[in-house]
Amino acid sequence: MAVGAGGIRARRGEKALPYLLLTPGLLLLVGMLYPFCLGLYYSFTSYFLQYPHLFKFIWLRNYLTLLKEPPFFYSLQFTLGYAAAAVVIQVGLGLLVALLLNRRFVGRGVLRALILMPLMMPPVITALMWKVMMASTRAGILNYVLSAFGIPAINWLGDVNPSMVSILIIDTWGNLPFVSLILLGGLQSLPYEPYEAALVDGASGWGVFRYVTLPLLKPFIILATTFRVMDALRIFDVIYATTVGGPADATMNLHMRAFFFAFQWYQMGMGMAYAMVLLFLVFLASLILMRSWQRAAEQTTL
Amino acid sequence: MSSGPEARAIGSTPLARATRTACFGVAVLALVVWTVFPFLWILLTSLKQPLDVIAAPPKILFEPTVDNYLAIFIGKQKGVYASARPDFPLFFLNSILISSGAVLLSFLAGVPASYALARFEFAFKEQLAFLFLSFRFAPFITFLIPLYILFQRLGLYNTYSGLILAYQLISLPFTVWMLRSFFMEIPLEVEEAAKIDGCSWWGVLMRVILPLSLPGMAVTLILGFMFCWNAFNYPLMLAGRQTFPVTVGAIQFISYEEVLWGQMAAASLVAVVPQLILSLFVQKYIVRGLTMGAIR
Repeated sequence: MAVGAGGIRARRGEKALPYLLLTPGLLLLVGMLYPFCLGLYYSFTSYFLQYPHLFKFIWLRNYLTLLKEPPFFYSLQFTLGYAAAAVVIQVGLGLLVALLLNRRFVGRGVLRALILMPLMMPPVITALMWKVMMASTRAGILNYVLSAFGIPAINWLGDVNPSMVSILIIDTWGNLPFVSLILLGGLQSLPYEPYEAALVDGASGWGVFRYVTLPLLKPFIILATTFRVMDALRIFDVIYATTVGGPADATMNLHMRAFFFAFQWYQMGMGMAYAMVLLFLVFLASLILMRSWQRAAEQTTL
Repeated sequence: MSSGPEARAIGSTPLARATRTACFGVAVLALVVWTVFPFLWILLTSLKQPLDVIAAPPKILFEPTVDNYLAIFIGKQKGVYASARPDFPLFFLNSILISSGAVLLSFLAGVPASYALARFEFAFKEQLAFLFLSFRFAPFITFLIPLYILFQRLGLYNTYSGLILAYQLISLPFTVWMLRSFFMEIPLEVEEAAKIDGCSWWGVLMRVILPLSLPGMAVTLILGFMFCWNAFNYPLMLAGRQTFPVTVGAIQFISYEEVLWGQMAAASLVAVVPQLILSLFVQKYIVRGLTMGAIR
């Protein structure tokens, strides 16, 4: 990340200048931190939007209630499980696509421009596009294609297990190009010497990939993983536009649940408690991943 | 690695080489279909009449109609068409207004801030930079709930100014980190030379930094606009019917009674036209933008 590169030492009397320059930005920043702190405070209160007279500071009771709820543990499990599955699949496939695009072939430039298209789509529109294709009856194109292979129709967004897979498919369509392009950039920046050395040692194609390419690519893989983990933990738009947390709460992750508490049941306090748990998870994940990224970057002198 | 020496080392027999080429071709084809088909299908759906949309098996050949587009743009209702939404032009305009407003505000605050973060040494510099960055990773709901309550109280709910302020959560961290990464690319010597020539920091900023990073600023502006355009969850709760952007507008075609598939498809396509056009200008920078300047 763009850190370092010694700056200009401020001249005498210019000490305040950087702070002055930062003031407008900081004002906006404080403007954002204020609602955040307010939200944190709400998570310690019993705040029902429709019953303001019940407002009371209740310390940690929201968090204790949440720990007694089985749905909380399901949401936690789904959130973590989803993020893990999304990252493994998207980084795995992304690596394959990157290797594919790293070869020289006719139309490579076109293909590379093509896979940018899903990347810039609003996630909610991506979800709607797939929702059309995932219609449960035989009118849905996906089911129609499956029927050509003799596979019975799947209720993509209406059954418990398929709905989770469907969310993953939609998310992957939107974000696979991101991973692929990061890894492709990594592949193209690799030094040439280790490959020559490997060739001299008579390494096989797989050996070169496993012992030369992969280790050198590690910082890029970790960077892509970082972004994907953080976004997968917080996935919301796609779920909201397709299953709205259903069927039977199967795709109800922490983010959706926090949203439901706040805007369906108007329990702002509980909603914020859920939000804070999710924030803590994201923070923890970012801490771990940033560390390992820094370590990998130092080792390979990115 | 294709261009590396190993590409020649393996697959030496003609048969093995042919197999490899075939596998490669299939993989490329699969990637193309996977990427393009959803676009193609939404385009077809948007040109279908309601009965053609729900036909089983799905119709590839049908009599195309632009009625869905007419319905979302001018609210023209005809025959089997259920409740049309004539307000999509408004949603489109809202998206433009809110996104531009947010990006401009972010630029006003972000240019000096990112210059300070790129070029000066001061206490808590990195902490401040990371504070900006942390907004990129915070779950939106941590802000949405208090903002919803605040906006109701302050009269900012369902207003452009309120939405522009909320969109700062997306555009400001991005602007600061992107501009910082572009500013840092300018060699220090250029700046020092200007200082020796007697330029104040203001002169340096206006005459050296900004002109030299003009392309970078254009990229930041466009990408910032595109990220704001994609926003869905803040406007979902903070906007009302008069201020809905296209993203929230598009899901209005789903109701408890029915889904207006054709119109939803048309709306989805219209909603992404600016994205598809704008991305042509910033193709090379999209990954850099999505990683907040981490990958050049």
